[in-house]
Amino acid sequence: MTQAAQLLSLAWHFAVLSIFAVGGGISMLVPVMHQEVVQQYHWLDERAFAESLAVAQSAPGPNFLLVPLIGFHVAALPGALVSLVAFLVIPVTIAFFVGRLLHDHDNPLMARFRTAFRPVTGGLWIASGVVVAATVDHSVVPLAITIAVAVLSVFIDIAPIYWCLTAGVIGYLLA
Amino acid sequence: MSDSRKPTFVDLALAFANIGLTSVGGAAGPLRYVLVKQRKWLSEVELAEMFGVAQALPGAVAANVAVMLGDRFAGPLGLFSSLFGLIVPSLVVALSLLRIATNLAAVNPRFAAAEFAVTAAVSGIFVSNGIRVIWQLWSGAPDLRLAWRCARLAISALGIILVAGLHVFVPLAMVVMFACSLPVEMRLRSYEDGAAS
Repeated sequence: MTQAAQLLSLAWHFAVLSIFAVGGGISMLVPVMHQEVVQQYHWLDERAFAESLAVAQSAPGPNFLLVPLIGFHVAALPGALVSLVAFLVIPVTIAFFVGRLLHDHDNPLMARFRTAFRPVTGGLWIASGVVVAATVDHSVVPLAITIAVAVLSVFIDIAPIYWCLTAGVIGYLLA
Repeated sequence: MSDSRKPTFVDLALAFANIGLTSVGGAAGPLRYVLVKQRKWLSEVELAEMFGVAQALPGAVAANVAVMLGDRFAGPLGLFSSLFGLIVPSLVVALSLLRIATNLAAVNPRFAAAEFAVTAAVSGIFVSNGIRVIWQLWSGAPDLRLAWRCARLAISALGIILVAGLHVFVPLAMVVMFACSLPVEMRLRSYEDGAAS
């Protein structure tokens, strides 16, 4: 495949995928991505996919960086950029117009639409905390860390990265 | 907007670079810290609104928030500067890590334990984010009749039960919660209008 054709195919693949990234994360898209880019198209091997996933999850930054990392494996820097832009263009366009619509000050209905999201997000934040905690809190140390951070960070409002660093050091030392 | 000074393109890029580079295991914690506490561009509940909308739309939440906030504060070009800040610095870090990628957790089990501990801390931050919003909804409207405040509380509680307890697919849970929340807010509007007149 020529490079242009490969880039085009990357762009198409990630543009389609972006529409299905509903509900926030791309974590639920990982199995689909794996199936397509590794098994179907053979764009990259198992090892490169696992490596990209590990970097996207553990390196700082939004998790959707997995997309340009896969693109990078397929077609170096142009691949990374094309995948990233393709993955963003549809959601960004939608968010732009929805954002404008919801902040239309002449429409009182829109204000109610926005405030209706408040208790929804509040509940979902706690729920996702519990869901994430359930994946790691199998022993007393992580469980204690979850509870301690949940309680303390309500009162001590420092950047979340400090809680993460402290927890990482405690986890390392107690292992 | 809590701050009278409008953020410039540079402010937006720097704020979102901070968010991107300190996001480990999810952007909700850094989004709240930078946008609400540090920059004071949004209140707790305004961020909750924007985050909720961002989550209901396709695409990554952090990117959708960057778009809506960037456009609202600095116009269409503002959204590109916040997106740039969110993505480019952390992409550079991720690409350089890819070149020297070694799985630390496999090399030393202590690193695996440290990773688990960091994820545990992230989950705690999600919980405290939620507590802040719910507390703000409860205490930020002291004039509101108890029944309305309880209704909002019940919607949050419903989400916790659906997602954390019953493992309902998040987009579906959001639809259910929003379907309960919107009528409450609509009734609240007529109640407020009635109180005003």
